[in-house]
Amino acid sequence: MEVFIAQVINGLSLGSIYVLLVTGFNLLLLVAMIIHFSFPIVVVFSMYIAWIVLGLTGNNLFLGISAGIVSAILLNIITAPMFQHIMKKRGEVDINSTMVLSMGLGMIITDFLSHSINKGFPIAFPDALTGRAEGAFLKIGIISMSRGAFLALIVGIIFVLGLFWILYKTKQGRAFRAIAEDPNGAKLVGLPILKTGFQSYALTGFLGGSTAILMAILLGSASPGLGDQLGHKVLAVSIIAGLGNLKGGLIVGLSLGILEALVQGYWTGTWSNAVAFVIMLIAILVKPKGLFGMKL
Amino acid sequence: MEQNKSGESYILEVKNLSVSYGHVNALKGVDIKVKAGEIVVLIGANGAGKTSLLETILGVNEIKNGSIHFQGREISGDSADKIVRSGIFLVPEGRGVFSSMTVTDNLLLGAHHNLKGAKSKMDYVFSSFPILKDRKNQVAGTLSGGERQMLAIARALMSSPKMILVDEPSIGLAPKIVNDIFDILKNLNSEGYSILLSEQNVYKALKCAHRGYVMETGNIVLGAASEDLLNNPEIRKAYLGA
Amino acid sequence: MSLPLYYYLAITSIYILMTWALYLPYRVAHLHFMVVANMAISGYFGGYAATQWGWPFGLALLVGIAIGAFISFLVSFGIGDAPTFAVVIVGFTFIYITKTAIENWDVIGGTMGMFGIPVVKNLLLYVYIFVLITGFFIYRFDNSRLGRAASAKFVDRDLATSFGVNTKYLGMFLQTWAGAIGGACGVFYAFLMNSLFPDFFTFHIIGTTMTMLFLGGYTTLWGPLLAAPILWGLPLILPTGVASWKQIIYGIILIVILLLRPEGAVTRKFLRKLQVKLKLVKMA
Repeated sequence: MEVFIAQVINGLSLGSIYVLLVTGFNLLLLVAMIIHFSFPIVVVFSMYIAWIVLGLTGNNLFLGISAGIVSAILLNIITAPMFQHIMKKRGEVDINSTMVLSMGLGMIITDFLSHSINKGFPIAFPDALTGRAEGAFLKIGIISMSRGAFLALIVGIIFVLGLFWILYKTKQGRAFRAIAEDPNGAKLVGLPILKTGFQSYALTGFLGGSTAILMAILLGSASPGLGDQLGHKVLAVSIIAGLGNLKGGLIVGLSLGILEALVQGYWTGTWSNAVAFVIMLIAILVKPKGLFGMKL
Repeated sequence: MEQNKSGESYILEVKNLSVSYGHVNALKGVDIKVKAGEIVVLIGANGAGKTSLLETILGVNEIKNGSIHFQGREISGDSADKIVRSGIFLVPEGRGVFSSMTVTDNLLLGAHHNLKGAKSKMDYVFSSFPILKDRKNQVAGTLSGGERQMLAIARALMSSPKMILVDEPSIGLAPKIVNDIFDILKNLNSEGYSILLSEQNVYKALKCAHRGYVMETGNIVLGAASEDLLNNPEIRKAYLGA
Repeated sequence: MSLPLYYYLAITSIYILMTWALYLPYRVAHLHFMVVANMAISGYFGGYAATQWGWPFGLALLVGIAIGAFISFLVSFGIGDAPTFAVVIVGFTFIYITKTAIENWDVIGGTMGMFGIPVVKNLLLYVYIFVLITGFFIYRFDNSRLGRAASAKFVDRDLATSFGVNTKYLGMFLQTWAGAIGGACGVFYAFLMNSLFPDFFTFHIIGTTMTMLFLGGYTTLWGPLLAAPILWGLPLILPTGVASWKQIIYGIILIVILLLRPEGAVTRKFLRKLQVKLKLVKMA
């Protein structure tokens, strides 16, 4: 029973990370109108940048974390014009091309990481960041959480709340939602489509960079393959929840986290990932439009 | 501002405007003028180019030829959001309100470019449209057709426009509601807003407007004062079934 | 013939086939990456059948094709008519599951790989025959009513229905065919390399075939035919230092093509112009 509860709590932390990634992905889908397949790979890239800066500055946490977040924002903003160019070219929104473009970006980043950084070996984050050496960070009765798990959960909650606040209480958020509902109608009322799309790239860049730091703390390591793996899970979560469905993404993301943690707790080997994929596969085959409906 | 012979000023001047969508020529050398403080109506069948004209004025379509001047300044080629900031707002065909967003949020979208004073503008809008005030936290999708039309017009007001473009306001609305909407437009006009609207309900539109233009397949075929159009036998035959 | 040339011709032919396997479902906008999983499954099956049961190459090939077709057929019941992203993720998931299964199954060699698959005389000839046959049928398909309906569906689903074609069956048909080709490639590859490693069936194949498909042009079958030998040959003539950046170069090529000439090098317009020029030359 203890194992069960402990794993569920771990699962919530992992799930928070999935939720953050899916929400970033969904935002890009709804507002920038692209399928950014490789958004999680951008996140892993930021993890690497943070690791490099940590190494260069003798584990200066502030610089390392800032570097991670800024690199994600920059990468998003630099690639934004490419996506927007493709969309303009096709006249109407051509989502498939953006998917392929994103995959191309992912190929470049993944291979770059495999080749150039740490000779392709996995990277480990220092204890100063992860707090691994401290042991359990939080102990309430039989529940114990590592610092990483705790932070992931708390920050995850704060960010999701923050995101919903932005969406529902600010001018940009209103513009985001309007474009998400009806891009053409949004244009007709004079909303600046490209500028707002650009803002969503910056916002999701910030989201992605922060998620990268959280993952560094929670997982303690990263590898080039992590981006691919994460990417497929995030995409699968988003599809199962229904593309663009923020609330659905919340539920499915948390569920996947818990599911994976449970399988890891009771079953060793790489099968835990495979089990998650099998379940996702079945879900997609049965309901390709998503459990909670697409908002596309 | 350009002045015609009798010294009146035109708030909008469209000269020889041509627009194509691919191989389809939607507008072929269109000339229209709107005087400040006027209501001008565009009449014509479906596909005549009324919506294309309004959307082109708003800056949504690429102009092949010709020019658009607003308040004496050329706006051809400006982006839609720049034109909205210059003082033109569109009430789209089918209302164009965002169904998943509340009435308040929809109104705030109208003031997107200038949120300063949005609160007082909303108070003004709510006093003119009390129904919207009652429903201010309701999601726009739950409003009736007439209420949505009011919302779309109110949203336009939130941007403090000088000129309002209205695309087919009577579509899908019951006759009594249509009368209410036209009364609203007349009131707005008396408060100083210039209005350019396109309409299929020719009789009510001409009764409300000062002048009208008749469009057919991308061309302006006739432009005159509304009384003259109402009394014109061909117009009566073609559009009024008389 | 020299060994490198032999391998070059054989591997590029396999890539031509794999790119065609990607091309067919993409006629209806499906990026059916599952064909890579088909390749892995049938390849391992063929290798195992040959080494453990002594099956001859021909039998292994036929059964490999059947397995590929069958699996894709079953899966297409779910995604025959699904949006593209669903097809993509199903493909990825299958590849991942297949790879995990192979790695954890020591009977077929696990992560160490499978060895000792017998050499086949005239393998290159068989591959080329398969390429010709497949190319011929794709050509027939493209110019048939079904093929035109597929083009219509790429643009707009309802348009395709107006051709009187059931879009789901069309999707299933293309995916099944693609699976069959994927299966064939797996067997060819197994008998060509005489060994198999799970590491090969990764997303590098996806990246490579996607670049080939988009660089060559995804609207005609000639695109992949042209792009595969060129893209595969390029890293071979470049110095090895540069060549190891293959995936990054492919990624850059893919992005540049998408931005500058999204339909690829060989488009239908290009083919028509070419036909007109050829006619003029003939007349002169």
